[in-house]
Amino acid sequence: MNLPINRTTPEHIGPTDPKQDTGNAPNPEAQNPQARSAPGGFQGLYLHLPFCFHKCHYCDFYSVVPAKEPARTNGNAENAPDIQDAFTAALCAELRRWVVSLQDQGEPLAPATVFAGGGTPTFLKPSCWKTLLHDLHGHRVLQHVDEFTVEANPETVTPALMDMLVDGGVNRVSIGAQSFDRGSLKALERWHDPDNVPRAVELCRNAGLDNVSLDLIFAIPGQTLDMLNRDLERLLELQPEHLSIYGLTYEPQTALTARLRVGQVQRVDEDTERAMYDHVMTRLDAAGYEQYELSNWARRDPTRDLRCRHNLGYWQNHNWLGLGPAAASHRDGQRWRNAPNLPRYVSGSPNPPRVDEETLPPPLRFGEQLMLGLRTSAGVERAWIDAALEPGDARNAYLEEVIALGLLEKTESHLRLTRQGRFVADTILARLL
Amino acid sequence: MPAADNIRNFCIIAHIDHGKSTLADRMLMGTGAMDERTKKEQKLDSMDLERERGITIKAAAVSVEHTYNGKLYELNFIDTPGHVDFHYEVSRALAACEGAILVVDATQGVEAQTVANLYKAVDADLELIPVINKIDLPSAEPDKRAMQVEEVLGLDAADCVMTSAKTGVGVPELLDAICERFPPPKGEPDAPLQALIFDAKYDDYRGVIVYFRVVNGHFKKGDRILMMGAKRTYQVTELGKFKPDMHPTPEPFEAGDVGYMVAAIKSLEDVNVGDTITLDTARCDKPLPGYQEPQPMVYCDFYPSGDTQFDELRDAIARLHVNDASFTYEPSNSEALGSGFRCGFLGMLHMDIIQERLEREGDVSIVQTAPTVTYEVVITGKGGVKQTIQITNPSELPDMGQVREIREPIVAAEIITPTTSIGDIMKLCENRRGIYKSQKFLADDRQILEYDLPLAEIIYDFFDKLKSITSGYGTMDYHVTGFKADNLVKMDVLVNGSPVEALSLIVHRTKAEFRGRHLLKRLKEQIDRHLFEIPLQAAIGGKIIARETIKSVGKNVTAKCYGGDVTRKRKLLEKQKKGKERMKRVGTVDIPQEAFMSVLDTGE
Ligand SMILES: Nc1nc2c(ncn2[C@@H]2O[C@H](COP(=O)(O)OP(=O)(O)O)[C@@H](O)[C@H]2O)c(=O)[nH]1
Ligand code: SF4
Repeated sequence: MNLPINRTTPEHIGPTDPKQDTGNAPNPEAQNPQARSAPGGFQGLYLHLPFCFHKCHYCDFYSVVPAKEPARTNGNAENAPDIQDAFTAALCAELRRWVVSLQDQGEPLAPATVFAGGGTPTFLKPSCWKTLLHDLHGHRVLQHVDEFTVEANPETVTPALMDMLVDGGVNRVSIGAQSFDRGSLKALERWHDPDNVPRAVELCRNAGLDNVSLDLIFAIPGQTLDMLNRDLERLLELQPEHLSIYGLTYEPQTALTARLRVGQVQRVDEDTERAMYDHVMTRLDAAGYEQYELSNWARRDPTRDLRCRHNLGYWQNHNWLGLGPAAASHRDGQRWRNAPNLPRYVSGSPNPPRVDEETLPPPLRFGEQLMLGLRTSAGVERAWIDAALEPGDARNAYLEEVIALGLLEKTESHLRLTRQGRFVADTILARLL
Repeated sequence: MPAADNIRNFCIIAHIDHGKSTLADRMLMGTGAMDERTKKEQKLDSMDLERERGITIKAAAVSVEHTYNGKLYELNFIDTPGHVDFHYEVSRALAACEGAILVVDATQGVEAQTVANLYKAVDADLELIPVINKIDLPSAEPDKRAMQVEEVLGLDAADCVMTSAKTGVGVPELLDAICERFPPPKGEPDAPLQALIFDAKYDDYRGVIVYFRVVNGHFKKGDRILMMGAKRTYQVTELGKFKPDMHPTPEPFEAGDVGYMVAAIKSLEDVNVGDTITLDTARCDKPLPGYQEPQPMVYCDFYPSGDTQFDELRDAIARLHVNDASFTYEPSNSEALGSGFRCGFLGMLHMDIIQERLEREGDVSIVQTAPTVTYEVVITGKGGVKQTIQITNPSELPDMGQVREIREPIVAAEIITPTTSIGDIMKLCENRRGIYKSQKFLADDRQILEYDLPLAEIIYDFFDKLKSITSGYGTMDYHVTGFKADNLVKMDVLVNGSPVEALSLIVHRTKAEFRGRHLLKRLKEQIDRHLFEIPLQAAIGGKIIARETIKSVGKNVTAKCYGGDVTRKRKLLEKQKKGKERMKRVGTVDIPQEAFMSVLDTGE
């Protein structure tokens, strides 16, 4: 499962491609899709699997809680077609349409990374997973994939499912731990037993996975620095390859935000939140993790790059294709999103309706790339900024102002946030749009 | 045109909401000038904003006919602006009349503006007809109100006409009373022309339309006229009356007549209410008495903000000024806020209206500085000579070493309040450095208080306070009476170490510390945390009297940002950025518009 962070994850890049694309420093081409040699090709594939067994109160990902079907609990349950089957059929149909159409465009769908998020991907029935994996292979979509991540909820990880996923090509799992404190989990209305997190990690290991990511949330109502510290230590005991750690975000239209408004929960104050983030950075660094993005850390490993290559693609503005309801896509500056509407997705007129379709004009696109690129610890290439920013642009002066404050810094080739700057990234990035 | 004997020029005066506009409409209908079907809106105020705010900004005049005792009369109804800021305009409108109808709400009775308006009508030597209106309401107490009119205002209760503007009851009687009791205009039709300008309006197609009342002499279309105060001459291209639409009249206008004039006047800036029109070829000796240059009492700066450029603001102001010359403007420059305009207004409401019209009609966005009043400053000039200057902005205050005294405008205020609130109202006035003048009973449960108050102390929240203390029953009217010296000092505000002129203010020395502390607290609430710490200081002549600090942003980073979030995330940040753009950048600090207004908050 996932967490608030849904598409969160993890990790790595195979030893084959050690450090180029993903590298610490995005090269200018990576930052500027226009310049990339192969426009149109999708480097990433995202699959949105929109089912959860309960809706967490902080969550604004698109997911549905299927009605309890009595059939499920008795023996032949697995065979009765239900909403998950209908969804899987629609997903496979969408996949097929894209495969065919990209084939026709001479750009066969051959991503380097696949990411299955949700929702709770591990809540999808094994029979559905089987169909999905079968089709992915059948269309030869996985041929060049060297990172295939699935998000997991500690409650729904089973040995059988893990074996099937690993057999199907999954080589990375991202587990939504969020907290080990029962009170904190309660505050989030997140239903899982914290003791199931180590169990889930163990099941992953048993299935042969050597790349596991864990998610943690801080600044949960009621949480103290001490409590966070305990959560962190428990997390580290599990020796994950990758960590995603976030300050809780109060998303509009979530139950948690509604409770905040009526005063049922209290926000952690800003100074404590700052101290928490500070502590996370210090502690993880000491534990051997490299912070490569504002909320993502990869274990330092001389033999492999453990950063999540799929997610790096988002920040480096790569092209990716999203399938499933609410999945977003990006192709050469054009963004769109499938409508977050499962019934319509399933009843499927040939193509799912799109929402939020936009093609950004160059100045906005530049700002967006700064917004994304500066989230990475490498930052963005200065030569690219200099080329894209007109001398008269007010953002020049602002950049200098922020550099003078010690919140941004110039390296030989890049502009990046300093450690101090990370605390206030949004304030800075907003001005650069 | 009827002979002068059959002309009646009059106005209606009333406290707001007592039914002036409704009664005016009803009288027009009664005389057939308008019927229910064409009455889409109240004819006499024709600006949207006026209707929204329930006040009359621009006066108008309508001529109607009425037959009384077998004779045909022409009734010229001259409308007066209803708001306290427009005293001078009201006095000019009254000067164009021989009679005034004083409307009193049968449920409310006499209010502050009833009293203030009555004084003005008496000053203008007008004949009065008291009217008790809204007698259709179940809670109406017409007889009691008539007695109040007699006791408080000194008018004969028996002279009151009882009306319901809503149902029309009493309106024919009122029209008869106008013909019978108001005197016909006097004046010498053969003397040199003297016509009083009591209002002017701007029309996109015809230019300025001047409303006048001929006092002596006569003139007609084609004449060449001179405006004596403005010293401009024009050829009259049209004379006419409003009935209630424009109705050109070929015959000459003679002493006693009221009408409008069109003369290819391009801008309202060229016409002054109160000015005298005479014939260029046969000038009169003296203008009519009472003319004053427009005298703004409240000033503030407008600066462009957001996407608005200086040029756009300048054009918008110039365009508005062409059709509303009641405010003044001149370019101003502030180190902190850049280029903008210093504007003068008759009062606070007037200022609000102009700002709103600029933003609405001119499509500009504005940062407005806190209004200040005009001060007279006595300084030791060159060679030790005493000299008096006027300043409209604390930043213009000369070096304090040179200043002998600072004088501020004083108003005479009439406040009507329920007797139960009298103690609190007096306390409010004392706090605002008021000087008690008198106290009178109006009825068993209400009193009139008279105070002299510094204008600076009432321009902001005084009226709101009055309303809240009296649960909405208190009313007030005031007019500026002169200037008076007091122990006033200039307080500067430093944001991040630099003084921000737009935040400086002139305060009474004994209140400086309190105001300073309060102001900094307000600023601290209103200015967002920045990437750096911002010290705030209040100082008098270099001595810091209060300080506060705005801490820097602690944490502002949205944790997740993945594929699905990119667009939404960007939109969220764009919103943050837009918010910042609406603010004014002073050095590296973004100050929101409200912060400039917090200067006014007295903290009491
Ligand atoms: N019942 C009743 N309501 C009236 C009468 N005259 C005016 N009103 C109402 O009183 C309110 C204020 O009237 P208006 O003419 O706008 O007052 P003004 O502010 O003096 O011009 C409006 O809602 C009118 O409809 C009346 O004779 N009877
Ligand atoms: S488990 Fe489901 S409801 Fe909870 S955070 Fe993940 S997607 Fe949201």
